[in-house]
Amino acid sequence: MAGSSVQAGRWIERARALKSEGWWPADLCGLDKLRIGRADERFGIVVQLLHHERKQRQTIHVTAEGDPPTIPSVSEVWPTANFMEREAYDMFGIVFEGHPNLTRILMPDEWEGHPLRKDYGVGKVAVEFVEQPLLQIEAPGQAPDAIESGVRVDRLGQVVEEGDAP
Amino acid sequence: MSTAVNPSELVREVEARGQGAFVESFDPADELMVINMGPVHPSTHGVLRLLLELDGERVTKCLPIIGYLHTGMEKECEDQNWRGAVTIVTRMDYLAPLFNEQAYSLAVEQLLGIEVPPRGKYIRTMLAELNRLSSHLVWFGTQGLDMGAMSAMFYGFREREMILDFYEMVTGLRMNHGYIIPGGVWEDLPSGWERPVRAIVESMPGRIDEYEQLLSSNPIFLERTSGVGVMSRSDALALGASGPIARASGCDWDLRRDMPYEAYGEVSFDVPTDTKGDVYARYRVRVAEMRESVKIIEQLLGKMPKGDFKNMDPKLTPPPRDELNRSMEAVIHHFKLVTQGYTVPTGEAYVAVESPRGELGAYVVSDGGTSPYRCHVRDPSFVNLQTLAPMVIGGLIADLVACIASVDPIMGGVDR
Repeated sequence: MAGSSVQAGRWIERARALKSEGWWPADLCGLDKLRIGRADERFGIVVQLLHHERKQRQTIHVTAEGDPPTIPSVSEVWPTANFMEREAYDMFGIVFEGHPNLTRILMPDEWEGHPLRKDYGVGKVAVEFVEQPLLQIEAPGQAPDAIESGVRVDRLGQVVEEGDAP
Repeated sequence: MSTAVNPSELVREVEARGQGAFVESFDPADELMVINMGPVHPSTHGVLRLLLELDGERVTKCLPIIGYLHTGMEKECEDQNWRGAVTIVTRMDYLAPLFNEQAYSLAVEQLLGIEVPPRGKYIRTMLAELNRLSSHLVWFGTQGLDMGAMSAMFYGFREREMILDFYEMVTGLRMNHGYIIPGGVWEDLPSGWERPVRAIVESMPGRIDEYEQLLSSNPIFLERTSGVGVMSRSDALALGASGPIARASGCDWDLRRDMPYEAYGEVSFDVPTDTKGDVYARYRVRVAEMRESVKIIEQLLGKMPKGDFKNMDPKLTPPPRDELNRSMEAVIHHFKLVTQGYTVPTGEAYVAVESPRGELGAYVVSDGGTSPYRCHVRDPSFVNLQTLAPMVIGGLIADLVACIASVDPIMGGVDR
């Protein structure tokens, strides 16, 4: 599988060129490289392209720029990117400039935070075993205070003392 | 059909919730009516919600609103080990669970750089084709039911039961099997597995003839489906349609034939296509696909190889139970695999398989640890749902139901 990397600023031209060559976007998804990439290139999208005549695939990484991370939308080049970009926005908070309807697609509209970001807390409390929730999550999307303050909770909701085996 | 809501109220409510630019174009002052269909509606196949604008009986706008079944499965995968994530991805497209497992396992195998033994490949291919049959049988039943042909549902589910019984015999479960794992399959086929498969292969062609007698030339069904929801080839490709929807619009593309994986290179089959692009063409393509699946299963049944059914690398596969009593090494491997799981080399892989609904791709990223760093599934229903609006706009609201059924969206896969 051939792969290449593109900066956000050059993505639209690249997409137009690829489209005229006959490449078809099979998939477009967000990626948070918090632990695996450079700090200034944290967010990006990964585009999987398919060429029907040549029977080839290629992967393109597009790195988002700025804060919030921004990438130009290719939904005009490839209309199918519409839903996929909305999903990447919803899950990672990547803003697609020029998208006709950049709203949340899977999460409720009033949701705060972007769940697939690596710093988005998951709570780690198995709800069915907890009578009273041990961790009060103030607002959805924020890492619970208990995690920040070092209190660890195991899968049964019991607080793990420091020094105990994990 | 659906509850009519005072348009201006609905528009206000939706605007307040931020449905964005699309909704602003709904004008309460004109004669158009805005109605909400779903998410709880018998014809929306799960929890699909459609915001429709109607001019009399004609649909002028259609906005699919999804996410009612979103449970964050991709996030959950990041918390599992590589083996455990199979049990999460299998729950995505719940009518094609084996395809989810297959795509994910193929992607992980590509990262690991391992081969599946021939028997494992054949078992996977055979089960996948049976899954295509069982999934298309649900589509057949619901398409018929939505068109008012209730008996189609009974016929489709009767045969589906035979296939689900076979799954239960092989995997222990009727759905969400967790059977295909990176490296092969979890268990070998049980003794006597040929008999139920042969029964399915022998009875299905006749049963498919029966279905065709029910619907293919039924005047009511033809009236409801031919010329309805037409989608041109260029539109289908632009909107990312794959699978039977694209093939019914004249796009001759099937991953099984064009980019063979597993054992598809060793069987012969045809890829049915049509050029009309309407609901009836999609019906023809799917029924023909069922016949091809039966052909594939029959060939695989005849040449099922002997040998290992999964990769026996001790770093990936727990040792057989009796070896734990004899070998210290086996105990160590077992302990490591059960408590921690195996690690996968750093990298990324995208592998797609041809699911009953089109290209089902799994994109996995590894940071070298024991769980996926990112596990994304490109679900065909999610992408195919974009073709719904162009299909129905300008058509009658009654035809909308036919179009939804012909797109065959599975909301578990759409929302993940």
